[in-house]
Amino acid sequence: MLKRFVLTFLLLTPTITISGGLTDKSKSFVENLGKEVVEKVSDVNISDNQRQQNFEKLYLSTFDNYYISRFVLGRYWRTIDKSIQKQFVKSFNKYIVATYAPKFKGWEGTFKATDSLFENNYYNVKMDIENKDGPTLKMMWKMYLNKNKEFKVLDVNIDGVSMLVTQRAEFLSVIKNNPNGVKGLIAEMEKKSAGS
Amino acid sequence: MFHFFKNIQTKFFVFLLVLVIPLSGYSADSENDPFESTNRNIFKFNNVLDDNFFKPVAKGWRKIPDIPRKPLSNLASTAQTPISLANAILQLNRESIGNILAKFLINMTFGLGGMFDVASKQEFGSMPTVVEDFGQTLATWGVPDGPYVMLPIFGPSSVRDSFGLGVDTVFNPLSFAYRMNNIGLEARLSGPTVRGVTTREKYLDYVDEMKASSLDFYATMRSLYRQKRKKDISGELEESSSLLGLPIKSTENVEQSIDDSEVSTEVSIEPSEIIEEDKPQKVAETKTPSSSLEDTAKTVAKNDIGLMPSSSYPGARDTAGYAPRIYNGLMPSSTYPGFSGSRVNLIE
Repeated sequence: MLKRFVLTFLLLTPTITISGGLTDKSKSFVENLGKEVVEKVSDVNISDNQRQQNFEKLYLSTFDNYYISRFVLGRYWRTIDKSIQKQFVKSFNKYIVATYAPKFKGWEGTFKATDSLFENNYYNVKMDIENKDGPTLKMMWKMYLNKNKEFKVLDVNIDGVSMLVTQRAEFLSVIKNNPNGVKGLIAEMEKKSAGS
Repeated sequence: MFHFFKNIQTKFFVFLLVLVIPLSGYSADSENDPFESTNRNIFKFNNVLDDNFFKPVAKGWRKIPDIPRKPLSNLASTAQTPISLANAILQLNRESIGNILAKFLINMTFGLGGMFDVASKQEFGSMPTVVEDFGQTLATWGVPDGPYVMLPIFGPSSVRDSFGLGVDTVFNPLSFAYRMNNIGLEARLSGPTVRGVTTREKYLDYVDEMKASSLDFYATMRSLYRQKRKKDISGELEESSSLLGLPIKSTENVEQSIDDSEVSTEVSIEPSEIIEEDKPQKVAETKTPSSSLEDTAKTVAKNDIGLMPSSSYPGARDTAGYAPRIYNGLMPSSTYPGFSGSRVNLIE
């Protein structure tokens, strides 16, 4: 019995070590992302245009924009041709930047990753966002390692609410209620982005 | 008196039965909004009412100094204790019962009769405010939420939760006390009114932001309500059925060790081509023992699109201590808070 326990322990040890290293790295990654946001997007001294550009670069380099775009379109993704898919991904990217970048303006606070769980090839990183002028927010980041061994964020969850699921619910409703379907959604996103 | 309760009981169970039958039929539909057209009209009405009444009141409420504003809010919150406790007991939820009782006792004593929420201070263990309602109780008894409904004034709900709201109102132990002591409606409404105003004040900036950025505010609110309610009741986050086609198949048991020194935690600001599908790196930090690390290192991942892990969504099993089972009131929680300088927040 003891022998079996020791053997199991020895066999497990290397994988546990690897897990610890990468989960720790996943925590560092989201903390670094937070620092970059404070440095490059929240700064009140930069122009709104510069803020949007910085946010876009950060978003595209850390989030899996392709997957997110595909997910939020749900079943409609397969019903549209490639050119519309590409158009949608671009418009969605613009829409995200126009929607979120202004929200960071002047934001002050700290990002602290409290835990990271690795399950079924995904890293789920818990984070506390301490607002300077408000209570702490609890967030969860879902991400994975891509072929270049870079972390890519798939979803952000705040207090039990998934950003991805909410966005998809909204888009599917827009498509359902718009006579032009996905093209109508793209038009509405473009309009919203231009108006921001 | 006995006949009164007997009658109430019978009517209640008949109603419950009637409620459960139609609810079951709708459970498969994720959107589950057969009354959408009516709901949207009520939503419009609520928005007009909000813009012209609740929002200005909430803004005014925000301008009131912390004292008496916070003690009044705390008193209104403490007044919810009897109904929350009753529901926690009906749910046989020992954790909630303990939490509600402990918080009540601490605030009633050290918090000067519930005026100060000292129980949520670090010195008392940062106790969360646990609110249990009859909608949650029904859910723990297995009653599905049923179609989404937009209630006038009260906002997003479901058939089950609307019924729960009615039961909570009628059976609230405080209501009995009010009736027995001939306390007028004005006094009875003070608690819910203060809670409503406090909740609206908390979400003031956030709702405006969300409304401005949303393409379909109604659909956003519906999704937020559904997700928040699901999490409040079961502690589960939206998962499997919703998150399909993630970049890595959970079913693939590809064991591959990876040199973690190759993995960078730096955030690059130079993005790659945005329209291309990213190729995932399959990394299995497997929990099962491997006979040889060299063998696992040789395994190469396949780069294709798979299905969502059935139970891998973050926090699906581990939300205790991370996000307490709190339902904040009329407004559901949200997805995009936190990054504004607003004082509004989703966490109690």
